[in-house]
Amino acid sequence: MFRHNTLRYAVLVLLASAALFQAFTAEYFGLEILTEILILAMLVLALDIVAGFGGMVSLCHGALMGVGAYAYALLSTTAGIAPPVAMVGAVALTGAIAWAIGAICSRSHGIYFIMATLAFGQMAYSYVFEAPIFGGDDGLGGIARLDLSFVGIDLNDSRSFALFCLVVLGAIYGVSVLILRSGLGRSLTGVMHNEQRMRALGLTVWRVKADVFGLSGMIAGLAGVLAAQHIMYISPGLLSWTVSGEALVVVILGGLGTLVGPLVGAAAFVVLKHELSAVTTYWHLVVGVILIAVVMSRANGIFGWIEARWGDRIERRLSDTTRKPEAKEVLGDA
Amino acid sequence: MLETRNLDKSFGAVHVTRNVSLKLERGERRIILGPNGAGKTTLFNQLVGELTPDSGSVHLAGEDVTALPVAKRARRGLSRSYQKNTLFDGLTVEENLGLATAVHTGNATQLWSDSLAKPEVREIVNEVAEQVNLMPYIHAKVSEISYGVRRQLEVGVALATRPLVLLMDEPTSGVGPEMSKGFHDLLNNLPRDLTMLIIEHDMDLAFDVADTITVLNYGEVVFDGLPEAARGSKLLKDIYLGNWEDA
Ligand SMILES: Nc1ncnc2c1ncn2[C@@H]1O[C@H](COP(=O)(O)OP(=O)(O)OP(=O)(O)O)[C@@H](O)[C@H]1O
Ligand SMILES: [Mg+2]
Repeated sequence: MFRHNTLRYAVLVLLASAALFQAFTAEYFGLEILTEILILAMLVLALDIVAGFGGMVSLCHGALMGVGAYAYALLSTTAGIAPPVAMVGAVALTGAIAWAIGAICSRSHGIYFIMATLAFGQMAYSYVFEAPIFGGDDGLGGIARLDLSFVGIDLNDSRSFALFCLVVLGAIYGVSVLILRSGLGRSLTGVMHNEQRMRALGLTVWRVKADVFGLSGMIAGLAGVLAAQHIMYISPGLLSWTVSGEALVVVILGGLGTLVGPLVGAAAFVVLKHELSAVTTYWHLVVGVILIAVVMSRANGIFGWIEARWGDRIERRLSDTTRKPEAKEVLGDA
Repeated sequence: MLETRNLDKSFGAVHVTRNVSLKLERGERRIILGPNGAGKTTLFNQLVGELTPDSGSVHLAGEDVTALPVAKRARRGLSRSYQKNTLFDGLTVEENLGLATAVHTGNATQLWSDSLAKPEVREIVNEVAEQVNLMPYIHAKVSEISYGVRRQLEVGVALATRPLVLLMDEPTSGVGPEMSKGFHDLLNNLPRDLTMLIIEHDMDLAFDVADTITVLNYGEVVFDGLPEAARGSKLLKDIYLGNWEDA
């Protein structure tokens, strides 16, 4: 189950404002970075749903994103299907594949689950790499962006595309919250806490896992579609397991199971990457050190750490100020 | 309502369930007694499907459920509580009961609505909370309630599936005598048509609740009958009551 608190709302507002500010003021390079952050944010939301709320640590989410990207590219170019329909098709296909992976992996746990998802991801990677239809190493180019000219928006403009991605990310966030607060989301939390008991209560555990994995896959697929539209060119590297690994790093850096944390993580990660790679080619080392520090600190990522320190305090401060003065006396030592 | 026929189970060389045949009528409240390691919990595990018997069968409401997995048996009306608390620790009492209720009201897999917001779920959650005296703690997290209250919740979660047959594995284990007594009053106040099979260590308390008694020893049914007969049984005294009354 996911809950908002004041701190989470505050960080969301802060992130959205920063993104909007960047979208309206930044030049080309800044817009590219913003778009990269927004697309990574979609992927890590998808991953946080399964890993943070269902205990399903997936190493195939990068590959799922790649499936979405390739499906969109093939449908919209080779098959000549209109972009909006191709988008829906790509998202649906990714969701279906993710559902099947979730169903098959649902019986395994911990390291075995991770390995099983990795294997699926690698299968997708090599298939895309080998099959001629996907263009092999050369990848696929000439991918069109969605045409919104009928409402006067030109998505080929970087600013408009960044704003479009921001809107999509907002929608994905909203849907993620709805999923986690639904009956399905509650059952998922139950399964993560105590799978045996949920089964004893009559829940078909594998179905819950598969359904959530499928929904998460749809989000990853949508991220892939937008990635393909963003770069307008895709290559098999998109499906590489390192993309999944990086997404996992971002989720852990930000704060597993908090939704807001991974968003912070995505922004921090991309900004750090660009700032550091301008200074040193060894920027991965720095990210590695930060990750180790975060993991060793036993905090739940950067956001988790902030929340553990200040989340409750803010909540209390607020309820104190809204409470009547007499009540405040009684609870003075709280 | 619940029946086993010649249930048999071994772990390697250890024969833990020996040809156990039991029959519970609808609304019957049967207590299972037996020393530590007699195979009581193992029998429960086979009844609900968490363990597969080597041979024999389990029947629920006239249907052979031996081959059914745990979740399907549960949906047919078989529910259990555990000897060791098996709760959802980070969640509140209400959410714990809600998870159980959502499954059988068909809200556990719904995507567009919150199960705990559904009136039919809330109604059952509140009703069960009343039944097991959890109302004062309804919004407390499991980590914030005492061990004894957790034992009540353990039974509450099992009850919230609205079962036909409720299996309870030492519901009062580890709680003080007063609380045990309260627990038995609570069990006595449950609906009369609910069939109950209860593992209990405390003889006197067991007699408060039992319509019938089964005694297991080394995985074997050594007594099956009415409480009065159990009190008088020489065999029982030797293997079980004897030790107990000395304690
Ligand atoms: N999974 C298992 N593998 C091997 N042996 C087991 C297993 N589960 C239980 N046993 C053994 O089976 C016997 C019966 O155990 P069980 O837990 O059913 O006893 P019990 O009657 O519930 O005892 P208690 O009163 O202590 O709860 C014990 O000797 C136990 O060690
Ligand atoms: Mg036991």
